[in-house]
Amino acid sequence: MRAAKSAYPLRWRIMDAMEAFAAFIWPARFGRAIPWLMLAPALLLVGLLVLGLIQIGDASLRTLDTTTFLMSESYTFANYQRAFSESLFAAIAWRSLLGALIVTVITLILAFPYAYVMVRTTSSITRKLLLIALFLPFFIGQVVRAYGWLIILGNQGMVNEALGLVGVAPIRLLYNYWAVLFGLVQYMLPFAVLMLAPALMAIPEELEAAAGSLGAHWVATFRHIVLPLARPGLVGAGLVVVTLSLTDFAMPAILGGGSQDFIANAIYDQFFRTSDQGLGSTLALLLVAVGSLLVGLVFTVFGAGTLAMGRARR
Amino acid sequence: MMPAVDTKADFDNAAKADTIAVSVKDVDMVYDGIHAVRSASFDLETGKFLTILGPSGSGKTTLLRLIAGFQRPTRGEIFINGAAVSTVPPHRRSIGMVFQKLALFPHMTAAENVAFPLKMRRTDARQIPARVERYLDMVRLGGYGARRVHELSGGQQQRVAIARALVFEPDLLLLDEPLAALDRKLREEMQLEFRRIQRELGVTTINVTHDQREALVVSDEIIVMNGGEILQKAQPADTYRKPANAFVANFIGVTNFLDAPQGGTRAIRAERVQIAPTHAELSGCDTIVDGIVADAIFEGERVVYEISVASMGNVLLRVFDHDLAAHGQFVAGTAVSLGWNARDVLYFNP
Repeated sequence: MRAAKSAYPLRWRIMDAMEAFAAFIWPARFGRAIPWLMLAPALLLVGLLVLGLIQIGDASLRTLDTTTFLMSESYTFANYQRAFSESLFAAIAWRSLLGALIVTVITLILAFPYAYVMVRTTSSITRKLLLIALFLPFFIGQVVRAYGWLIILGNQGMVNEALGLVGVAPIRLLYNYWAVLFGLVQYMLPFAVLMLAPALMAIPEELEAAAGSLGAHWVATFRHIVLPLARPGLVGAGLVVVTLSLTDFAMPAILGGGSQDFIANAIYDQFFRTSDQGLGSTLALLLVAVGSLLVGLVFTVFGAGTLAMGRARR
Repeated sequence: MMPAVDTKADFDNAAKADTIAVSVKDVDMVYDGIHAVRSASFDLETGKFLTILGPSGSGKTTLLRLIAGFQRPTRGEIFINGAAVSTVPPHRRSIGMVFQKLALFPHMTAAENVAFPLKMRRTDARQIPARVERYLDMVRLGGYGARRVHELSGGQQQRVAIARALVFEPDLLLLDEPLAALDRKLREEMQLEFRRIQRELGVTTINVTHDQREALVVSDEIIVMNGGEILQKAQPADTYRKPANAFVANFIGVTNFLDAPQGGTRAIRAERVQIAPTHAELSGCDTIVDGIVADAIFEGERVVYEISVASMGNVLLRVFDHDLAAHGQFVAGTAVSLGWNARDVLYFNP
């Protein structure tokens, strides 16, 4: 009896009691609910978003009565008609889409070598420096960064002062399309590098050595081995950059100076300048539709890339 | 940076060029402060199968990578078919290599993998399919060309890697421990496969391994390395029977180190020691000692004994016994007699 007691210490019995109590208030068969419980906050947030979308959908079908500044009671497609017929909106949509595509292409071209060197370098100091340079801009918000560019590129900015020293008259570097695209590329680069790095890391270095020994110089190795195997990373990075650029607000507003509006700026103007919630909602919904279409197109043509999370990849 | 090669050496080298496929001259490799290869020199005749054998960290893989051109020697020069290659990048050397992890391209089919070196070498596109098929047939993978790499078994992937390394008819085939990850049966099968293909094509081959059995089975010649140095280069039978030093004797085969007269080492192979219940049953031995069985390990075709010998300071001698019928298996604690011949004792100078 005493032997049994010492073989089964008090500590264990306390633990047993606690376990029994836990099983009483949370029986094992509840275990299947745990994944859903953990999902609940996210589902709630998404649900709220969907509710908002329904609200926006409702508003997009009402027009603004300019005499009373109230939304109409009856439903109409007038807002959609305006959005599709007015050349201003077509110009903005075209500018945003083209801008997003140009920014994506340039960003991927710039991000690829950066990510490649970061992943492949044998020097840990180089890797750390590249990582710090990548993360530092994250601590500086988008708006502050845009203002930074105003200071550097402005008429009295550093660049123009440097040009003045060599006798070049001030050049207007800001408030044009290329200034906006420049700001966007600079903003998107870290995102693209971070999306590309894991995909490049997944390519064994030995494959490149093998390609070399089989007669491929580095250009051929890059084209036939590295690029095809990096495709998931390129698709993932491309999707992130294209959607973030297409919907960007701060860069066109600050570096474009009102003359280079993207869709988000047009929506902002409708909501907060002309107070036309109806037209603003319509533009917002159209942006969601165009963005989804673009992403869907990329998914069907190239696959989901790294965003497929491994299930779809073989 | 490049060492001056004296003209006589150059001349000698040119004269031997038709028979010597690879010549490593006084090569040193130092990186990250590690002296990975120390003044390594050897010649390899055309068409031979050489195995570089050594424990991990012996510098064998570094030496192979230097020959392949992935790294440049700190000192010394490597000649392939008489031409100095230190400054030649890998893709300009005519070397086929089978990598440790095979390094097959996962986004290509077996046939596309085999066709890759031909495309890179701008072979006439109309000839490529037939060449690819011929080499897939040679490694017994005819009809598997359309399979993706991940649809092939481990052994089949090995074969694709071999076909890919040989399809462009390189001057030299390098094998970087490609069999290390296979299970024993498949590994032994692939060793014979390597041997067969190498004989069929007559391609000069350098194989790197830490598996002494593989080295003995496949090679025409074996180089044993340790601590970055080449200890011995000899034919398999000579490497086994006349090991150059105690390290080689210990690394290849099972060897008992007996004593150390005047700082040297005397040793005897486990299979050269006879075991019997009494002195009388030992035949033709000029050295006889008594011992107690410390452990008996049954391995099927033989029993490996560890015998504690009191007259030698309780040293444990390992003995192989194939002749079980005569006296049955001894259990631990049994007193036995051991005997051997003085001519079988290996002596290594200090």
